[in-house]
Amino acid sequence: MNLAEALRSAAREILIHKVRSLLSLCAISVGTASLLYTLAQTRGMQNATRRNLELMGPGVLSIHPAQSNSRIKGQSRGLTSADADAIRAEMPWLYMVSPTALGWVNPVVAGKRTGWIMVTGITTEWRKRDWVYRLRGRFLNATDIRDAARVCVVIEPAGWVTKPFWYEFWSSRNGFEDLSGHRDLVGARVNLDGHEFAVVGAMRQPPHDLDPRWNFWEGPSMLVPISVFGRYLTAEFAAAADSVRAIRIDTGEERTLTEAKRRIEALLTARHGGEKDFEVKNVREEIEDSIREENKYIAVALALGIVALVSGGIGILNVTLAAVYSRVKEIGIRRALGAHRADVVALFLAEASLLGALGGLVGVALGVAGIETLARAADHNVADLAWYHAFGMILIAATVAAAFAAYPAWRASRLDPIDALREEA
Amino acid sequence: MKGVSLRIERGEFTAIMGPSGCGKSTLLSLLGLLDRPSSGRLLLDGVDVSGMDDRERTRLRREKIGFVFQAYNLLPRLSALENVALPMAYAGVANAERRERAQLLLKRVGLAGKADRTPLELSGGERQRVGIARSLSNSPSLLLADEPTGNLDSKSSAEILEFLHELHAQGLTVILVTHDAAIGKAASRVLRLKDGLLA
Repeated sequence: MNLAEALRSAAREILIHKVRSLLSLCAISVGTASLLYTLAQTRGMQNATRRNLELMGPGVLSIHPAQSNSRIKGQSRGLTSADADAIRAEMPWLYMVSPTALGWVNPVVAGKRTGWIMVTGITTEWRKRDWVYRLRGRFLNATDIRDAARVCVVIEPAGWVTKPFWYEFWSSRNGFEDLSGHRDLVGARVNLDGHEFAVVGAMRQPPHDLDPRWNFWEGPSMLVPISVFGRYLTAEFAAAADSVRAIRIDTGEERTLTEAKRRIEALLTARHGGEKDFEVKNVREEIEDSIREENKYIAVALALGIVALVSGGIGILNVTLAAVYSRVKEIGIRRALGAHRADVVALFLAEASLLGALGGLVGVALGVAGIETLARAADHNVADLAWYHAFGMILIAATVAAAFAAYPAWRASRLDPIDALREEA
Repeated sequence: MKGVSLRIERGEFTAIMGPSGCGKSTLLSLLGLLDRPSSGRLLLDGVDVSGMDDRERTRLRREKIGFVFQAYNLLPRLSALENVALPMAYAGVANAERRERAQLLLKRVGLAGKADRTPLELSGGERQRVGIARSLSNSPSLLLADEPTGNLDSKSSAEILEFLHELHAQGLTVILVTHDAAIGKAASRVLRLKDGLLA
């Protein structure tokens, strides 16, 4: 089999039949672009999840009220700080037991009332996981928590490495600037619901597009000791003075997760008078659930890509069939001159593969351009492309094209040389 | 073919003659290993080729047989040089050597200056000369020519016949199919076919 001759002939045929070739190439390239995008998204999500899980810790559980606005029913006071203390007392080996309360305030800074700000009440445990910040000043300490000190740490919003083009329109007002008035707030005093709080620290988040966390609040936000809720501030959906919005647990290792979950559920059910008005969720499972959700969209893109690629393949099949019928005489001549059947097969497979590879190349270019464009448009692009994806896609496109051309090529090789030579050119 | 039995010696110039439809081209196809006899034996250089598989027959065809067709059968998109070099590509000859040998062959048929022209840019006689050059590209021992002058004027026909004589004189076995008695006379041996039978 003479591959070089087959490739030369293939290139010549593609150039001669430009329109025919272009149509086949288009279908293949759309399929390739779509598959490439899907691949990049899948890989990106896998990497983001891995990074996120590493950051989050291996044995994370999240305890929430069963309903977001659960009220006291029977004996239960709902989820409280006391529950977190009880868990800590029962299982001192847990790496982290971090209760959080949540409220919304309308702070007054330097006599000026700003917009709504999310205030999260925390304990010192909070910073054990998901720490992505750069801190100025100091963080909340155990004394602050114990004494319900009126201190707070502001979370400064992140910038962008590459700002999406729509961001200027979406976020015309920067809530944090509203709060800070372009001043460094560390050391300043802020009035929250009529009480003076000292800003003891400021935490800068990583740029939006590089933030490895799965979910994060993007608006202006501050942290206060959890104990100030119920005393100075009111927590959202608070059923008791020490109500909490959630308790985050980290067992420290994955293998103790199931056992910890079972024991926490038993403990809290007993504390809540037999009422199961809370949910203990495996955060890893939650992330996996949300990935499964996103995977559905990816599956649709994948299906579209496959359909487009198969359509391209069918196009190639048609083109190859047409090429075989228009080149019957040529096949006869080549056979008379000493071409084996394999040479004839190679002639048509080379043309199809070359078309497929060119389609793949165009598809890769389209795919990369699409991913770049979407990355600029999205706030949290997860697409992650490796050079071998592009190479693999071109290979897949060429293989699909060759697979669809195989039958007409085989038919061509079985032509009787005498009959083929009699064919009018 | 009905009960045809013949032996052609190495170096012979044989003309197969007969009216249209008598089986001349079928006989040539059998001799050129393009077709297979339904019965009987066909020996080439003493080897029975009638039972060989397609791969073996293709190899023999490429190495030992050269074809010259009435309608030239050049590939229209290839240049004269590429047409001549094509059988060498299937014989595994390296590209540079193919081109060099094709150039020499074109020079031999008087077309050295027209190597880059496509068949459409050549006259009938020139096309047939390219066809002859191509048939010689793998240095065959047997040249089969099917009405090689059938589409040519008398001057070009004479030139082509002259070439065939030259090749024969250099030791090549030539079998030529024609219905033209004048051309048949040029051969050292004439076989006459009628209704698939040798007269």
